Amino acid sequence: MRAISFMKIDYVLTRKQMYFMPVFFVLAWVVGTGVTEGAMSLLVTCSYMFFVASIFSTAPFGYCVGKNRGFLLLLPATVKERVAGRFLYGLSFVALLGVLCAALWGVYALTGYELPLWTVAIGLCELAAGILLMALEFLFFYLFGEGKENWQYLSNIVRVAPGMAMFFAVNAFVGEIQDMTPAGTSVDLEAFAGKFMQAGVAAVAASLLLTAAAAAVCVKVIEKRDYA
Amino acid sequence: MMELLEVKNLSKHYKSFDLRDISFTLPKGYIMGYVGANGSGKTTTLNLITGILKSTEGEVYIDGLSCEKDMRAYKEKIGYVGDESYFPEHLKIKHIRGMLKDFYGTFSVEKFDSYIRNWNLPENKLIKDFSRGMKVMLMFASVLARDTKLLVLDEATNGLDPVMRTEVMKLLQEYVMDGERSVIFSTHILSDLEQIADYIYFIHGGRTVLYDAKDELIENFLLVKGESEKIPPALEKELIGLEKNAYGFEAILPSDKAELLGSAFLFEKPTIDQIVIHYIKNKGEQ
Amino acid sequence: MKIIISNQSELPIYAQIREQLKEQILNGQIPEGETLPSIRQLAKEVGVSVITTTRAYSELEAEGFIATMQGKGSVVLPTDNNLLREQYLLRIEEGLSTAIETAKTMGMSNKELTDIFHNLLET
Repeated sequence: MRAISFMKIDYVLTRKQMYFMPVFFVLAWVVGTGVTEGAMSLLVTCSYMFFVASIFSTAPFGYCVGKNRGFLLLLPATVKERVAGRFLYGLSFVALLGVLCAALWGVYALTGYELPLWTVAIGLCELAAGILLMALEFLFFYLFGEGKENWQYLSNIVRVAPGMAMFFAVNAFVGEIQDMTPAGTSVDLEAFAGKFMQAGVAAVAASLLLTAAAAAVCVKVIEKRDYA
Repeated sequence: MMELLEVKNLSKHYKSFDLRDISFTLPKGYIMGYVGANGSGKTTTLNLITGILKSTEGEVYIDGLSCEKDMRAYKEKIGYVGDESYFPEHLKIKHIRGMLKDFYGTFSVEKFDSYIRNWNLPENKLIKDFSRGMKVMLMFASVLARDTKLLVLDEATNGLDPVMRTEVMKLLQEYVMDGERSVIFSTHILSDLEQIADYIYFIHGGRTVLYDAKDELIENFLLVKGESEKIPPALEKELIGLEKNAYGFEAILPSDKAELLGSAFLFEKPTIDQIVIHYIKNKGEQ
Repeated sequence: MKIIISNQSELPIYAQIREQLKEQILNGQIPEGETLPSIRQLAKEVGVSVITTTRAYSELEAEGFIATMQGKGSVVLPTDNNLLREQYLLRIEEGLSTAIETAKTMGMSNKELTDIFHNLLET
């Protein structure tokens, strides 16, 4: 329960950035449709959204530095609850953007676009990658930068670089697929769709497990630390 | 149990600073002034007591609980007020109210709101735009609106004007009124708070210098003044923090050495500040 | 009941409280049987530490001016006249000794001193 309360605190701290999420969502859609169309464009849009998620999910770290976190440190709760709350924030934030993406898939499906199952699987892999990036960044922040002031420069690289890498990777992947596909024909990957889906679900499950593991490591490290 | 706060052989080692072997007890219903110059280890000690720092050696018990074993209950008992805001600065009072409600079972919204009203704290401003005094009073409101046993004040009255300082003094005395709750406050200026302190713990350079009931401390020392040339060697040995100027000297003398004074010198009851200043001067010379 | 604390006074604060209460008990301003405020109440009102007021009360108790009963607080005891007399005598002696000492330091003769004394009595 205390973990949920800590998650709430993180949402309160970062409440301003929530206003920007719809803007990023529209931007992501524009970027996606600018590159290509149909299901492929959705993959680009999603990768952009998870790129955004990987940047903004770490925002609470920036609000809890130096003296300003005294209040939070003194709250009657264990380190475990506080760290769990932060990870819940990260997970729910990524999930929230994931839901936005899913909604867009729904809209596309309803308006008659053809959405092959294997692209859904790739979408799941992107979600898994989004979660994993978040978890790794959290791990990095907890191990090296938690509570430190004047950490802005390095922390921004950590926040931006991996998500950006993923975004470009997906872009390149979409480009590859399109190059391989002669105009007018659809990609013949449907035969492997079942396997793709299994892999996608497995990837999401694995990313959740890894997140839990990262959180456990953070608890162990932070518990021994001053100002924890 | 009579002791509310027990500090046993508390030490904290840093590369550039050592806090060593701090020990004291504070009974229920009493106020302790934790006194020392800037950088003497006051904040370190208080942070060790609240549990946000981990001691190298030693133990702290509040109402018999230790932070390691009962972290949640232990922290519930503490109310902390610092010298400036310890809240995340981009929040408003309503956010703080929500957090307090979520985390503290004994938090009373009515009490909190009445403090906010009485002290004219702005509901619609971000905390970072509060004056220093407002930030401190918000901390007091958030602490006094719930049930705590120990108030920990780290230089809390530094940024307050004299009227507010007097108000805080009354608050502290009301707090210990029922004889069940205690206060420890750190400060480098004693003045008004000196009167209400029952005990004084004085540290310098991370080491204990004096620790006693305040009234005892004042009685145990004399403030001596006179002409520098007239100080006999036997007396000079006993004088603490001897400060000479062109026209005379001033120093602290343990009261039991009063017979060394004769009639050549003026002596009077010292304030805690004077004892502290001469002790610090003395340490500086060693 | 009045208590005025002076920071300039040579008397420690607990002694100032003790003396002022004693005075008011002796001259009847605080009547016998009256309950004094609790130690903590007094400390808060006067703005001094609890230990200080505790000491003032316990010394008053030791001198027989008040009695503290569990749960009932501190009650002013009847001042017996002998005690009262003794207290006043003591104070007169103290005052006179100071005068005598001062006279001796400046080498005044006993005759001169008693003359001053008589003069003062008549005015």
